[in-house]
Amino acid sequence: MSKRYDAIIIGGGHNGLVTAAYLARAGMRVVVLERRHVLGGAAVTEEVYEGFRFSVASYVVSLLRPEIVRELELPRHGLEILPLDGTLTPLDGDYLWRVNDHSRTVRELRRWSLSDAEAYEEYGQLMVHMARFIKPILSAVPPDQGRINPLEWLPLAPLGRRFKELPRRLKDTFIQVMTMSAADFLDQWFETDPLKATMSASGIIGTFQGVRSPGTAYVLLHHYMGEIDGAFRAWGIPRGGTGGVSLAIASAARSLGAEIRTEAPVARIDVRGGEATGVTLESGEQLQADTVLSSADPRVTFEHLLEPGVLDPEFAAEVRRYKFRGSSGKVNLALDGLPDFTCLPGKGEHLRGAISFSPSLDYMERAYDDAKYGRPSTRPYIDTIIPTLVDPAMAPPGKHVMSCFVQYAPYHLAGDATWDDAARDAFGETVIDTIAERAPNIRDLILHKQVLTPLDIEQRIGLSEGNIFQGELSLEQLFFNRPVPGWARYRTPVGNLWMCGSATHPGGGLMGAPGRIAALELLKACKRGSER
Amino acid sequence: MSGYDVVVAGAGHNGLVCAAKLAAGGRRVLVLERRDEVGGILDVVHTVGRLRRSVIDDLDLHRRGLRLIAPPVRMLAVRPDGPPLTFWSDAERTADGLRVHSREDGDAYPAFDRHVRALAGFVGEMHRVTPPRLDRAALSDAPGALRLGRAFRGLEARQARELTRALPMAAADFVGEWFATDALRGALAARGSLFTGMGSWSAGTALVLLNDSAANDGGAAGQTVFVRGGNAALARALRAAAEQAGADVRTGAEVVRVLTEGDRVTGVELASGEQIATPALASAVDPKTVLTRWVDPVVVGPQLRWRAGNIRTPGGTARVDLALAGLPGFNGVEDEAQLQGRIVVAPGIDDVERAFDAFKYGRLSDHPLLEATIPTLADPSQADGSGHRMSVLVQWVPADTPADAVADLAVSELERVAPGFSKLVTERVTRTPADLEREFGLPDGHVYHAEHGLDQFFAWRPVLGLARHRLGVRGLYLCGSGAHPGGGITGGPGENAAREILRDLH
Repeated sequence: MSKRYDAIIIGGGHNGLVTAAYLARAGMRVVVLERRHVLGGAAVTEEVYEGFRFSVASYVVSLLRPEIVRELELPRHGLEILPLDGTLTPLDGDYLWRVNDHSRTVRELRRWSLSDAEAYEEYGQLMVHMARFIKPILSAVPPDQGRINPLEWLPLAPLGRRFKELPRRLKDTFIQVMTMSAADFLDQWFETDPLKATMSASGIIGTFQGVRSPGTAYVLLHHYMGEIDGAFRAWGIPRGGTGGVSLAIASAARSLGAEIRTEAPVARIDVRGGEATGVTLESGEQLQADTVLSSADPRVTFEHLLEPGVLDPEFAAEVRRYKFRGSSGKVNLALDGLPDFTCLPGKGEHLRGAISFSPSLDYMERAYDDAKYGRPSTRPYIDTIIPTLVDPAMAPPGKHVMSCFVQYAPYHLAGDATWDDAARDAFGETVIDTIAERAPNIRDLILHKQVLTPLDIEQRIGLSEGNIFQGELSLEQLFFNRPVPGWARYRTPVGNLWMCGSATHPGGGLMGAPGRIAALELLKACKRGSER
Repeated sequence: MSGYDVVVAGAGHNGLVCAAKLAAGGRRVLVLERRDEVGGILDVVHTVGRLRRSVIDDLDLHRRGLRLIAPPVRMLAVRPDGPPLTFWSDAERTADGLRVHSREDGDAYPAFDRHVRALAGFVGEMHRVTPPRLDRAALSDAPGALRLGRAFRGLEARQARELTRALPMAAADFVGEWFATDALRGALAARGSLFTGMGSWSAGTALVLLNDSAANDGGAAGQTVFVRGGNAALARALRAAAEQAGADVRTGAEVVRVLTEGDRVTGVELASGEQIATPALASAVDPKTVLTRWVDPVVVGPQLRWRAGNIRTPGGTARVDLALAGLPGFNGVEDEAQLQGRIVVAPGIDDVERAFDAFKYGRLSDHPLLEATIPTLADPSQADGSGHRMSVLVQWVPADTPADAVADLAVSELERVAPGFSKLVTERVTRTPADLEREFGLPDGHVYHAEHGLDQFFAWRPVLGLARHRLGVRGLYLCGSGAHPGGGITGGPGENAAREILRDLH
């Protein structure tokens, strides 16, 4: 018995669901196959301990594309983004606290440096302009740089024109953000170390690079993308955790006619005569489709789900060299109360935003140095939020959940070390020690503690090497080189097999863009095909 | 009026090449050099194999006595705890040696050498062109664009894709995709770090490596070419070429100020107070110095001054010159011929990276990256008496490191790879980055004048908008390593700048 679909989507993460919704919207008969019992992939909310619900992996909405929110009418399907107000950087006996209220932040910065306070305004404006320029790139389909096909390159012409028309200052900044390290870029503007360290942190999240590694400045822009999306707030916590985003997309997809199956792990993509014909589930069930789209990463898609010998050796080698290099871990805490920071005691507004353990650039860089040689950071960078302060339903009354994103935790450990239980425990202790240095009461508050190493992320979520972006976001793995040079247009060397996950342009983050572009590109290809 | 059409500031190799080309183009040219000698940085680097063929031919350097010596060995990677790796001019011969360590790596080497040559070949084409304007297309850019277009199309589709992938890579990844042996990776990747403030894991070091092999016979192992009689002989030949073309060369004449009227250059002022009128100044001195110290800030304007001040110059190279009583015995080296090329101490990727880590925090590593040559081996004419001379480049030395500490470290590090080395040393002279800054005017001692990072490359070297050798003030040009195609003994910036200046003067 086999069912027939227009398209099968492997993986029910946010990108897979977005693809399904767009294809269903165009009238296709689609099914999403999710391995786990819950939808969302890395954007998932789970009740890990009774009464305590966690955004297990991904924890904030950073870049969810506003066109997806609009086109899929996500608010109607339950999406609600709660504001994440500001960032606190606790220090020894002091703190740096930036809030969304610009003038308050500038006042705070004046306490540190008058020139930084002044530069902050100019910097912010420049970055907003820059983000406005970058934005269309996030919706573009990368051309193949190996051949000059006007069909692929012409759609980029407006981008080239817009670049030419940019003022010199912005052109300069564009090249700088694409090539510089976050630290070098910020050094040009600011002198306050904790400010530079905390800002630069956004450049290294999810990557195996340090704040002084060239190429990390680009992500600084992401923080400013949200500001230009108008009414929709792109930087915040979804009600119900990041799983709330996935569930809203799933609801939209279902309402458009998509079928979504959980606990339906795909064992194999069926290929006949060099073309994908469907999938076989681990249960043995076979499903057939005109097109198979995989939102899993290239290693899972091409090495685990295809029979050996299907791929030509050159492409297979290029998939093998694709870099994952997971570098982060996650600690989810169930708390009996709120942490009390030595530098800013008591409960208050300062706990409602992100709390960033990033006191200096050298601290950040040292954390990276440890990882380079295969050790978890002795003192890691930690980005924490306490979602229960804005979304109390995530925990029983009076209790809290605290999400700690931790970097660096290299997937490959030095020597014979492996991510066994002892290593996981030690990693969790390091994180709690680091927090306790700034908020000594944290230990007494912990009711439950979930520690996820990169290996745990790989095994639980299915992200190879625990890379949260489905592959390193380094310069050589962006745009037309993501995931494989010549195969950045969502197609693969296997006919009718497409990619639609974070391993394709424009990459990872709770953005949904790869899923949307892949769907639109497939629809365009179908249209061209039917016209012929 | 002085009667000079162009004054060139700095008589390093680029200044002299530029002057010779301008004079050959019929212009009256004066070169002003702060030091008493010409040649500038030729006094610091080891090898000159990157020198452009067109410079050698057009300036007739062979007729002026230049003799180049290319020993059969390119690089010897020595190690404290294992046999060395020898890189010959002949890739197959290198591969044979590598197979002793790893069959796969040896087999991969010739293909890697071809890969580097193909990619570096394209980078070499980029070297020849003046970077395009990015704000508007200009007819004068067409030949360069055509040249690059042809070169890009000349690559196979696969190579073209690989090029875009390789340029922004870390050298560690670039070599790591081909080889498994750490010693091999470390040695090959080190060339992406020498003279820069970037470790092997820094993105963009693959480009530094390709740049080093661009438009020369370097390939995977890099060039090793000596000047017979030492680099000073090359400096003399370049000076002779400039002078015989009609240029005047004055040493002991330090430019301290560019004189301007409105937005145009009218002359230069020397440290002595002397003023020399000229409508055009071509600076082989670095752009940061020119734009932040030489030109009136009002003329430069606050924005350009801010950008020029932010040109990154993380200098960290020191040079130690040693006189040796005899040839050192390096671990596992059987044949004296192996010592004729560059001797590199970069035992592995992590070792090089750790040396760089220390520099990030302002410290000198216990085990820095070293590149040494014994020029007296390939060129006995440079020997005085029975001993040998060895020069050692020590990479990542913080500016304030005492000279003795650097020399001690260099010697003790060489002792680790050549037991008994320290007993051979009879004399030592050290120049730290601070010395290089004092002696040659290099900003922070950076041998490349401006970091060879991805952010200071091609159309944005030294900064976007000033990559066409024109520095934003009419009559002010950049013809040194701070300009495209950048640092290293190529003569490229000097030659390219002369082409642009002559175009303007027509």
